[in-house]
Amino acid sequence: MISVTPSNLQAEALDLAHLSAEQTALEIRGLNLHYGSAQALYDISMKIPTNRVTAFIGPSGCGKSTLLRCINRMNDLVEICKVSGEIVLHDKNIYDKDVDVAALRRQVGMVFQRPNPFPKSIYENVVYGMRLQGVNDRRTLDEVVERSLKGAALWDEVKDRLNASAFGLSGGQQQRLVIARAIAIEPEVLLLDEPTSALDPISTLTIEELITELKNKYTVVIVTHNMQQAARVSDQTAFMYMGKLIEYADTNTLFTTPEQKQTEDYITGRYG
Amino acid sequence: MRNWFKSGAPWIWLTAGSVSISLIAVLGVMAMIAWRGLSFFWPAAIHEFEVRANDGSSQVIIGEIYDTEEVPMQRLRESGVVLDGYDEETLTRVLLKVGNREYVPLDFMWVMQPQIVRDETPVELAVVERSKDGNFYGYPLHLLENGVVVQSNDLRADLQQRIERAVALNEQAKDLQQSDIGAINYQLNRLRLERRSLELKEALSEGEIARIEAAEQQLRDDYKLLEQRLFAYRDEANRDALVVRDMRGLEVTLPMYRILDVTFPNDMGLFSKIGHFFKQIGKFVTEDPREANTEGGVFPAIFGTVFMVLLMSVLVTPFGVIAAIYLHEYAGKNAITRIIRIAVINLAGVPSIVYGVFGLGFFVYMVGGTLDQIFYPEGLPSPTFGTPGVMWSAITLAILTLPVVIVSTEEGLSRIPSTLREGSLALGATKAETLWRIILPMASPAIMTGLILAVARAAGEVAPLMLVGVVKSAPMLPVDGNFPYFHLDRKFMHLGFHIYDVGFQSPNVEAARPLVYATSFLLVTVIVGLNLTAIGVRNHLREKYRSLEH
Repeated sequence: MISVTPSNLQAEALDLAHLSAEQTALEIRGLNLHYGSAQALYDISMKIPTNRVTAFIGPSGCGKSTLLRCINRMNDLVEICKVSGEIVLHDKNIYDKDVDVAALRRQVGMVFQRPNPFPKSIYENVVYGMRLQGVNDRRTLDEVVERSLKGAALWDEVKDRLNASAFGLSGGQQQRLVIARAIAIEPEVLLLDEPTSALDPISTLTIEELITELKNKYTVVIVTHNMQQAARVSDQTAFMYMGKLIEYADTNTLFTTPEQKQTEDYITGRYG
Repeated sequence: MRNWFKSGAPWIWLTAGSVSISLIAVLGVMAMIAWRGLSFFWPAAIHEFEVRANDGSSQVIIGEIYDTEEVPMQRLRESGVVLDGYDEETLTRVLLKVGNREYVPLDFMWVMQPQIVRDETPVELAVVERSKDGNFYGYPLHLLENGVVVQSNDLRADLQQRIERAVALNEQAKDLQQSDIGAINYQLNRLRLERRSLELKEALSEGEIARIEAAEQQLRDDYKLLEQRLFAYRDEANRDALVVRDMRGLEVTLPMYRILDVTFPNDMGLFSKIGHFFKQIGKFVTEDPREANTEGGVFPAIFGTVFMVLLMSVLVTPFGVIAAIYLHEYAGKNAITRIIRIAVINLAGVPSIVYGVFGLGFFVYMVGGTLDQIFYPEGLPSPTFGTPGVMWSAITLAILTLPVVIVSTEEGLSRIPSTLREGSLALGATKAETLWRIILPMASPAIMTGLILAVARAAGEVAPLMLVGVVKSAPMLPVDGNFPYFHLDRKFMHLGFHIYDVGFQSPNVEAARPLVYATSFLLVTVIVGLNLTAIGVRNHLREKYRSLEH
């Protein structure tokens, strides 16, 4: 049996089924997703609370990454992907026809499994999103770079070589750079898709510490393979299996007294 | 033996052997062309032979040894050559370049080795390089100034001084003719076209006529003045002459204004030979051709080749890249896209002459003819763009090389990791913004690869150009000092066509043969130079956009 010790950094438990409007960052209502004729997500409904860390766990292929990518509509890139149901952000369904996808993605930032810095300098990587919005004032950009890199706990390591190529950084530094790049445009929600799976343990630890920092300013949703990680960083956890949301509770409860048999089997390592 | 096969060693030998053969082939071709081309510029010794014919009469022959070959006696006897007292099976004969084209029936001559009774290389023998009638070989005797013999203590120094004077005067006359007089001719032609254009628009008022005629009169007056200066230069250059004794023993007077250089190769040390070698190469690269391309340099051909290739690159790169972006990024992934892609690839297999025919029929006659009717009616019936020219050549070759650019750009686009696209999109970039800011910069090394292949192919293409713009001799370069400076309607010279023309269309094939090798070597050098530049740019870009390394 895997020993899971919930960290003391976690916030007090919320009643996830009855969140008030201001406590809710996102609400997913009856979401179904098909890849061609195969259904990948079945009737997912959940509320994601503001300024807290929500983790999606589950075995490979359970749909947790797919669900995450629905939140900023990254699944639009897959031609055969069809989504029905609603994801509500600020009383607005993001799948409505009149939604500006680029604007949505500025509100809902994303960090991927592998670090993907652009082939530019560290500085230009961070200000990429600002430049897209037409901000080119040097002083504003300098401030954004400093704030974002400090926010991603990278400033001290790179402040002397901001114009060096981002490829010269280590994997862990690159991932923090990508986080800095995402928070440079001040999103409300930050989606992390297995952000530490390509990193060594020490870099992983740095990123995990960073995630608990980030929730002060952003709502964080993280997909992870690693149950200890979910237990360490998240305030509430959703367990998914075969495209269905099996159980969604605050992390302490889910890891100590799971209601569902499947959840218990998974967290005790019986399968998955 | 079986173990040897099992060990895999034969496979290594086979593969390494293929590589070696390719390498030897490339180096062999280059070495052969370079050797035969460059040896043309090396100052060869001039021999004076005394040849005794069968009937006992003897003759002095002066010339450069061009070639030596062994021929079977049998063949010579059959063609009626009789050699008394010579019973060997084979005979060595020597091909001499004797020059003096206006005084001998042929400026190349075979001499049988057994008939040579004296072979000397006197240091006083000179090669006189002339702007007309090729080289002259002989002994310089004295100088003439206005027909009077000049007494001189140091003939060579005086000669050198007077040649330099004549060459400088010729240079001034040529400059005057090409830039000043050329500009006046150009402006006169434009005035004529302007008048015709106004006439066609029925806007030719009395005032306009007076204005144009006044301008024409002014130009003609300027022309007269320039012409007087030109004649003055020529008269000055015509002052001196050189008297030379040739191999017949006669004294020949060579006017100085036709003499480009006099050298004494038999009297040269190694260093002056090396100096002369590089001087000759310099002249070859920078001068205009003379004597139906069999003499002089190839500068217009180099310029035409490079200019046309650059123009083609400017046309094909944006066009090919845009097409590749559509095919890879926007077109639906369905059967039609696949068919288009296959069609593009197959386009690369169409023989180049077919593109030439297409270019002539479509671009030159249809597009060019229509352009003339709309924009240049004043020039008709003589066409402006409705005739082969450097622009149509560049466009035709751009179509020819388009598939290469499309295919390599598409490959470059598909090699960019999708995580980078997603990273950009996740920051709120649109697809177009992602393309401009991330994808295209990262694909630029692949685009350069496509351009390198396109340049390599286009610079070597001759067949289609013969239909759409190349000529044996172009009086003017496509770029000059007259507004609008780039004259894309003009015909141009091309190194590849120059090789064909000099080698196979020349009135004096023997004299032109070394030029064929020299021009080939130059063409290869130009292509390698263009490619190396492009490769340099590509490596720089590659270093800059090196992809993620894990």
